[in-house]
Amino acid sequence: MKNKWLVQALVLGISFFVAIYLMQPIGVSTQFNVLDGIIQSTVDQDLITENPDRSTGYESTNAYYDLHDGKLAKQIKEPINYSFVFVLAIPFGAAIGRLLNKRRRNQAFVDNPIDDYPLEGNLITRYARSFIAGFLLLFGARMAGGCTSGHMMSGMMQGSVSGFLFAAAVFIVAIPVAIFTDKNRKRQ
Amino acid sequence: MKDIILAIFLGGFFGFALYYVGASNPANILSMLRLKKLRLMKVIVFAIGVGSFLVGLTGIFGVFPVNHFNIKTTNLGVILGGLIFGVGFGYGGTCPGTSVAGIADVAYKKSISTILGGLTGAFVFAISYQAIASTGLFNAFALGKLSLFHISDSIPYVINLGMSGMLILGILFMAIGYILPGEGRKM
Repeated sequence: MKNKWLVQALVLGISFFVAIYLMQPIGVSTQFNVLDGIIQSTVDQDLITENPDRSTGYESTNAYYDLHDGKLAKQIKEPINYSFVFVLAIPFGAAIGRLLNKRRRNQAFVDNPIDDYPLEGNLITRYARSFIAGFLLLFGARMAGGCTSGHMMSGMMQGSVSGFLFAAAVFIVAIPVAIFTDKNRKRQ
Repeated sequence: MKDIILAIFLGGFFGFALYYVGASNPANILSMLRLKKLRLMKVIVFAIGVGSFLVGLTGIFGVFPVNHFNIKTTNLGVILGGLIFGVGFGYGGTCPGTSVAGIADVAYKKSISTILGGLTGAFVFAISYQAIASTGLFNAFALGKLSLFHISDSIPYVINLGMSGMLILGILFMAIGYILPGEGRKM
């Protein structure tokens, strides 16, 4: 189909709009902190404690979880909320997409969709790259206060100045890094 | 309970859309960032335009719930964080949302590894937050919750245009998405 890209763009765009119209702008990266906090709480019982004087009802010994009157602390203690379940539902939606598409459904699961990911080797050489990428993505996203979903897509869609600044900063770096790390790059 | 049902529906729809446009496969994001195939860029830019256009359109008719706007704070952290994020984005060809959707796509093991890396990165940020904040990073270039347009009385803006500004922004994004070539540079 010649204009399939247009149909895809409409579906993606409508998914942004329906989310903000019915609930709130799409966001993903905060929920990594929520899952971290849930795991940490099982080890450190004092990480988050109840505080009835707070509007959220919680406080944390961690300054980050304690921000905005313990906003994250509350989400960690009460994870069955909109934002967390939203992120948990993402892979199920993607799986439905996979099942509905005959051609892509039959695509084998592969370890290396990208030719320049190492094909052989031990666990470290095979997964170090994606692990390091994930580390940088979330460290950066938390510093910026959002990721591609929250800042770039939802942000720019709302005309948020921070979204445009974030997008500019991301692409200034991402494009040269992607080109430089391309093994098939022609050597001059 | 209504929130949870909405979360399942809307999160599922978003995951479906990410898969459907090919964003859950790092190979597609990397060929976009390497400027080899700009198809995904076309899709994303146009999609942002669609979102903006619909917000503007419903806003003009007064049926958009303006309290749903969530404009994020602008400060130096956005730029520095964006630069760090960009390294991860260009290196791994995925981002937080697409790595979660990627659990259902061909490179699911890479996605899980990215998510584990992400959990570690978010953890390191949380424990070093105090030290990072003490540098004044979040107070530098602090413009607050700033929007381009006058979409709500509680949000400061740059251009004195209301929902019609959102509509124009949407059309502009859609036009750029439409004009962008699907192919990229020859390698």
